[in-house]
Amino acid sequence: MTQRSDATGFVTDESDSVPSAPFFWARPRAAYIHIPFCAHKCGYCDFASVAGQDDAIDRFLSALDREMASQLTPGTVVDTIFVGGGTPTYVSAKQLDRYLDRLNHWFQVSPDVEFTVESNPNTLTAEKVAILANHGVNRVSLGAQSFRPHLLKQLERNHDPASVGRAIDLLRKRFDNISIDLIFGIPGQTQKEWEEDLETSLSLEPNHISAYGLTYEKGTPLWKQRKLGIVEPIDENIEATMYEHLMDRLNLNGWEQYEISNFARGRKKCRHNLYYWANAPYYGFGTGAAAFQNNRRTLNLRPLITYMERVESGESPICQSEVLESESRARETAILNLRRTEGISRVNFIETTGHRIDDLAGDPIRQFVEHGLLIDDGETICFSRAGFLLADGILARIV
Amino acid sequence: MRTEQIRNFSIIAHIDHGKSTLADQILLKTGAITQREFRSQVLDDMDLERERGITIKARAVAISFNLDGNEYELNLIDTPGHVDFNYEVSRSLAACEGALLLVDSTQGVQAQTVANAYLAMEGDLTMIPVLNKIDMPASRVETVREEVSNTFGFTEDEILSASGKTGDGVDQILRAIIEKIPSPPGNPDGQLRALIFDSHVDEYRGVIIYFRIFDGTIRNNDRIKMLRSGRMYETLEIGQFRPTRKSCGELSAGQVGYLISNIKELKDVHIGDTITLAADPAQEPLPGYKEPKPMVYCGIFPTDNAEFENLRQALEKLSLNDSSFTYEPDSNEGLGFGFLCGFLGLLHMEIIGQRLEREQDVDIVQTAPSVKYEVVLQNRETITINSPDKVPDPSTIDFWREPIAKVSFIIPTESIGGVMKLCQDRRGTYIRTEYLSKDRTILVYEMPLAEVIIDVYDKLKSLTRGYGTMDFEIIGYREGDLVKLDVLVAGDKVDALSTIAPREFAMTRGRKLVAKLKKEISRHMFPVALQAAIGGKIVARETIPAMRKNVTAKCYGGDITRKRKLLEKQKEGKKRMKQFGQVEIPQKAFLAILSVDEE
Repeated sequence: MTQRSDATGFVTDESDSVPSAPFFWARPRAAYIHIPFCAHKCGYCDFASVAGQDDAIDRFLSALDREMASQLTPGTVVDTIFVGGGTPTYVSAKQLDRYLDRLNHWFQVSPDVEFTVESNPNTLTAEKVAILANHGVNRVSLGAQSFRPHLLKQLERNHDPASVGRAIDLLRKRFDNISIDLIFGIPGQTQKEWEEDLETSLSLEPNHISAYGLTYEKGTPLWKQRKLGIVEPIDENIEATMYEHLMDRLNLNGWEQYEISNFARGRKKCRHNLYYWANAPYYGFGTGAAAFQNNRRTLNLRPLITYMERVESGESPICQSEVLESESRARETAILNLRRTEGISRVNFIETTGHRIDDLAGDPIRQFVEHGLLIDDGETICFSRAGFLLADGILARIV
Repeated sequence: MRTEQIRNFSIIAHIDHGKSTLADQILLKTGAITQREFRSQVLDDMDLERERGITIKARAVAISFNLDGNEYELNLIDTPGHVDFNYEVSRSLAACEGALLLVDSTQGVQAQTVANAYLAMEGDLTMIPVLNKIDMPASRVETVREEVSNTFGFTEDEILSASGKTGDGVDQILRAIIEKIPSPPGNPDGQLRALIFDSHVDEYRGVIIYFRIFDGTIRNNDRIKMLRSGRMYETLEIGQFRPTRKSCGELSAGQVGYLISNIKELKDVHIGDTITLAADPAQEPLPGYKEPKPMVYCGIFPTDNAEFENLRQALEKLSLNDSSFTYEPDSNEGLGFGFLCGFLGLLHMEIIGQRLEREQDVDIVQTAPSVKYEVVLQNRETITINSPDKVPDPSTIDFWREPIAKVSFIIPTESIGGVMKLCQDRRGTYIRTEYLSKDRTILVYEMPLAEVIIDVYDKLKSLTRGYGTMDFEIIGYREGDLVKLDVLVAGDKVDALSTIAPREFAMTRGRKLVAKLKKEISRHMFPVALQAAIGGKIVARETIPAMRKNVTAKCYGGDITRKRKLLEKQKEGKKRMKQFGQVEIPQKAFLAILSVDEE
């Protein structure tokens, strides 16, 4: 095993490095920063998030800064910055100001950089909106999820539906790129309620909508409730119809679906996420954050205290690390690329992975094309409308 | 030993009529075993048989007995009670001059009582009717005595009564054996002629041959010759079971015993062969037996295909002690590599299956039982078919022939209507009705064996609330209007799902089969058509609708590895299923054809 202390100061193990297409070795052009604090942990959430540990926020922000310092030089040039959580705007205005300052220190922030911060409707104030804008943040992703009180309650979201409109009014003054997150397929939700939620969202004129079918993530309280029969998932047919409605409704009037769950208006696609689906490198900082650099995907520790202790003592907070051999990486690229409406470009795929997609998955692709689930025009392969509904089954044949 | 001092007899009975317990009592009364050694069912030495109350392999026990100051040797030759083992019954009977016809006085005459009694009559044996279990409160001695008298023509005072449990009546039975059963004919000084009526393999001594001497004398270190096979051996040990193996060095005409030679494999010994002395061979062999032919076939596959070799070894081991069981390698698209096995009947099949799992510790999948069909081709060639996937192109077939069974039911008179309907539904031809007594009836039908083996026995039990019994024998082959019922999955024919069916029922069966398969095959990403076809014509169709939604909404930076691993796991899972074209068919779907007629 060869070990060396690299420029970042972290000890890294390179024994399992394998040669790969140059693409994976490129310097990351995207950065993800995870702020885990929340007012409350929702039943369906399986992100690294903590509630009731507000007194650790400042200590965490110091550790975060130290973790960035171990890998970055000030003014690092990236194309996108994404601050997720948790609830990144849950922290105080002062704390928000503090970490955004540090991000401006480590990254070169300019109007050309897509700089997103996730937010909750009831954590936004005029003051915080100003802080965000003043630090070059130019995109806010707002977790609305639903506009029905009984469905919000089912999701354990504690905001009032009207707060979404208020938050958007506040944001509108400084931002022209606002995204709304929605969830459908909530137990007890009707088709009509979903359609109305979608219309309400559209009436708020966001530039981007991420709409997710509710997922019962293993280990979450919601997953346990389902296992115990306390919560009954909605009928597969209704959920499918909801998804079909979403796709049909958001492919009109300037809206465009560009990924399984993502829709943009006026070309405001989320560039940050496009880096993920291109399987391109990205930085990741904070608890539970994933990073992909030098063909190695790493995952940080999730527990807040352990993360801070590790970083404070100069150790790496990474708990998982993976380097894939060339073909597996190419297959991973294929399943990520396919999530996009644009699908897999044959030329691009061979350039970035060194493999021909038809060598890897020629047979399943032909079969799915035959069944009308994939569309292949010779240059690109992408999901059909029916294919989006059955994406997992298709991807499982290609991976 | 003079032949006048010898009596050779069997006990014949329906299952559970107390044969083994009575045999034990006879051993106890005659001092062949002590009270301490007395344990129930000495004669059954396989666990499984004792559990089921069925003696599978015949065993012969020599008993010394003194009556009125005269010394006698009684040879009790045990017989299996079940219909599947008729063949073994008849070969045991060939070694006897008499038989105890045992009837449970709580149950009366049953199907196998009649079947076995006919075998004894054919063998010209002297029968002594005995009503058993007279100590039981449910015993109906008088009614059953009348039934036995009506059915077999005994006078009522010829019929003895006994209790195997308490030993009551055993003395009278022993007296009747001496007084009524003729002593064996034969000349101890004649040329040796001994009938091999059974054999088994002993782990340490090799093959042990059971024989009955008709003429002459056999001794240790004799050079013997098998008249039919022509093989020569030297006898290493001559002895009798008393009831454990005891060497005695010499046996002569009329006696029953065993011999050990240097014979390693069971297949080197032909049951029914005649043993003679190599130095002075007899010219005429004794009338032998017909080889038992497997009547019922089924596929046996290892649950895990990696276990194939273990299964092969296990089958080989079982076949060492059961020459009526056959197996040959087979492969099936759905179940992989396994064996096509032949059995004497359904019970035989069930017992082999259980012994494989229990004694040999192999997990197996058993396919639906099938019979052996004959197909006469256009070119006049006749081929036999024991598995649907071996049916030739229908255009080359002139006609089919299938095995026919004569089935005798003994049933309460009140259920006669239901049983007749069952038989008609199963393509039965009515032969006759006989009245055993005012409330019990014998009903005789001829029916294709394929119909008998499906579930007639289970149906009979439910129609008669457990009181009905049945017995069948194969009476030959008859032309039948049969077709191969094919199953197409997503347009492709899947041979492993095909069956052979009578044309008149084929459409209904096809409909039921595809309906059942629809439940067993999970939804795919596209609609899957299931069709049943007869000679290219679709007779039934079902469609498994496509999955509606199967998509994980989120996949961002932190989810990529986990998501990929989940999908890889799914991919692995699919690899373990049998893939037909683009359709995955789970193993249990191949067993759906087993029970397609059950509603």
